[in-house]
Amino acid sequence: MKKSIVKASVLMLVGSAILAAGSYNAQAEKDRKALVEYTLKRFENPLKNRGLYFPYSTDKELKNNMQPVKKVEDFRLGSYAFNKEGRAQYEEIKEMPPYEDNIDAGEELYNKYAFFKKCFPDPAIAGEYPKFDDKSGKVVTLTRAINQCLVANGQKPWKMTKGKMTDLEAYFAAKSTEAGKKVNVQINSKAAAEAYERGKKEYYTQRGYLKLSCANCHVQGAGQRVRREYLSPLLGQTTHFPVYRLKWQGLGTMERRIKGCEKNQGENPHKPSSDWTAEMIYFMSYMSNGLPVDGPDVRK
Amino acid sequence: MKRINQTIATLSLGLALTAAATAGDAMKMVDEAAKLDVKKVCDVKANGVAKVLAIAEKYNPAAVELGVEFKRLGIRNSVYIKGLKEAVKAKKPEVTLKYKAKGKEKKKTFKTDYAAWRACTFAVRALQQVKEADKTYRLAIPGDGFKF
Repeated sequence: MKKSIVKASVLMLVGSAILAAGSYNAQAEKDRKALVEYTLKRFENPLKNRGLYFPYSTDKELKNNMQPVKKVEDFRLGSYAFNKEGRAQYEEIKEMPPYEDNIDAGEELYNKYAFFKKCFPDPAIAGEYPKFDDKSGKVVTLTRAINQCLVANGQKPWKMTKGKMTDLEAYFAAKSTEAGKKVNVQINSKAAAEAYERGKKEYYTQRGYLKLSCANCHVQGAGQRVRREYLSPLLGQTTHFPVYRLKWQGLGTMERRIKGCEKNQGENPHKPSSDWTAEMIYFMSYMSNGLPVDGPDVRK
Repeated sequence: MKRINQTIATLSLGLALTAAATAGDAMKMVDEAAKLDVKKVCDVKANGVAKVLAIAEKYNPAAVELGVEFKRLGIRNSVYIKGLKEAVKAKKPEVTLKYKAKGKEKKKTFKTDYAAWRACTFAVRALQQVKEADKTYRLAIPGDGFKF
């Protein structure tokens, strides 16, 4: 009798712990599913949904240059999922990817500094970041994790936007893509859920002298044009970093890209090392959970 | 050793309290700015350059503190305010702003009245947006306030 009571209480404890852990990401999951549903609906038939989602495009443009997107995985390609002309140019560039040397340089760095193998025994980890560190109460992006590893081993931290950082991240991303890894960001505590909520609020907050939120362009404005460029959707926005941008003529981290977006909004950008940026990346990455890691990649 | 530990603890507590107090002060400024009519308080013709600049000087530090300071074409609002202070002091009709963009030193000249209006509206609007966001951000979230 006593044994079975103990067994039942242990089972109840374990059960409630699992339920509690599961519930921390309940809101995030609700947000993610709604975003997937909305994005698929938006792009399932751009021509048919012109009045609803693409009021500034002509029928000719939607017919000739926008292809419907049926699979959620296709959004890992950003705007090239639906932009026919852009996709053709992208595929041409991908025949000789401009970031191949960076992947090699990243592999060299991984082998040169032995401590990286201790910090990151499996290099195919691009989809698992950002993580939430309950000890420090902070979001740890891959960029932050690399710098933490460097500092812990007596080295100076690297620049968080380009250079060696992007080389090593390119190697991690390439290994993750090769291994068929998917984005798998976790929210396992109350503090992590709060960090996610802060990131979400900032993403949807209108800011700067142009009073634009990230969502104005990448949720409600996804697929619309700014001059010749099509705006990418939030869904899949983090799957392919670090990214080689033709504008940069080099690779850049997520931190670098966010800084650029903030400038475009008319705001003095937050530092790439700030909690603000890390929490923003945490939210954005969670939204891409389940999509294949596809980095490094090329964008205009 | 015990004394060192005690000093470190006191200093850390002091720093934490200062940070909390600064954030609290910045939020007070947000509440205050939310009640202002930008067109009226930043009207240079009606109020004069000095008064308008004083409004900008009052509210912009809170915008910097909260990470919402405006920046236009590479020029932070703090740079506008710094340049304006010198121009108003010297009673110059034009203000030349020196700033850094992409690692290069640059210059741009504006009429003092125009720069004062911009600095003031940038400072006040940055804080007003913080307040507005509390009510509006959920309206853009699919599955929450944004119906599709």
